[in-house]
Amino acid sequence: MPVWQAIYEELKTNNFEIISVAQDSGGEAAAGPIFDAANVSYTAIIDVNHHISALYNLVNVPSGVWIDEEGRVVRINEGTYAKNHGSFGTDEYAPIVRDWAINGANSPYVWDKDQVLGHIFQRTEDAERAQPAFLLGTHYFTHENEEKAEYYWTMAQELDPDSWNYLRQDLLYEEGGSAGPEWRARRTAEEGRGETYYAPLEIEEQANR
Amino acid sequence: MKKLKILGFLVAGLLISGIVGAQGATVLYNERVIEVANTLPDATDLWVAPEDLTRINDFVLKPEGACLDALCIPVLQDRDSEMFVRRSGQDWFNVTVLADKLQQAHVTDYEDGIWSFGVMPLERTPFLKGGVAPDFELADRDGKLVKLSDFRGKKVLLLTWASW
Repeated sequence: MPVWQAIYEELKTNNFEIISVAQDSGGEAAAGPIFDAANVSYTAIIDVNHHISALYNLVNVPSGVWIDEEGRVVRINEGTYAKNHGSFGTDEYAPIVRDWAINGANSPYVWDKDQVLGHIFQRTEDAERAQPAFLLGTHYFTHENEEKAEYYWTMAQELDPDSWNYLRQDLLYEEGGSAGPEWRARRTAEEGRGETYYAPLEIEEQANR
Repeated sequence: MKKLKILGFLVAGLLISGIVGAQGATVLYNERVIEVANTLPDATDLWVAPEDLTRINDFVLKPEGACLDALCIPVLQDRDSEMFVRRSGQDWFNVTVLADKLQQAHVTDYEDGIWSFGVMPLERTPFLKGGVAPDFELADRDGKLVKLSDFRGKKVLLLTWASW
């Protein structure tokens, strides 16, 4: 987060904005202190319903979407860590964000429409039903009805088993942590099937730009 | 005894006419939470007064149908139909049938009368087929509404993260 803050302060005069959205049903109490610690001056939102992940077909955090001056997506659905944290993260993403903020459409990292469509995560019809189920669960969660929150959050996970966000948000309250035994088992199983936990970064400069 | 009987008839009559027994509902629609004071009791569907329809999803019931901007879903209103009934002079509109016609997902807690609706697939097409960034309106930490389309003319890095 301090990395994004530095990039934002450096490049905000280049018609560049950051909207950072915490997918946190725990609300201000959960995510607020982290925003505060980084002293962010860009737009900070706490999205208790995971609305942005539902809208942009994102299944994991952190994820990033680039939106150009005309409101078109020009990059989407990547594991977008600001830096390498040792066992996770990457130093490769922040530099391409900087390049785009400076060069806009001329940045070699901007995708064309077909590439964007090819990277949007494809949801099943069942998974589309997961959103209202999660929304209902969160409504109960904020009204302190844990039993029904658990019921509808579980429904959301069953309808959309691809969503790590729905699983981990729930595990925080069910197991007391979002990176416990169930998460580890699922991640190991997924990677065992040859899939990647994070949508891979595909940082290649485009030809013909 | 006679009084009780009359009262019983009265209650039964009111129930049939859909006045007594009308119950409230809570509707979750995107980021909106809409409290609806009266609904037409129904075991499976959500029937609301036309003005509540608009509070829920911005659709307006017009002679030509239920309309949202240029989109109009035809609704028969000169007699009872799948989306419209009139009881004792009160019009009722079926929100769940409209959602089904729009292939909009919904989940209900019948015990508490809470109805939760997903996004209309129609609204998703520009994103899924054209790469247009879906617009959203969410409150920031100060409670100020942030609308993506207000950032037109700028490059926006939209980031999601979580504390958990």
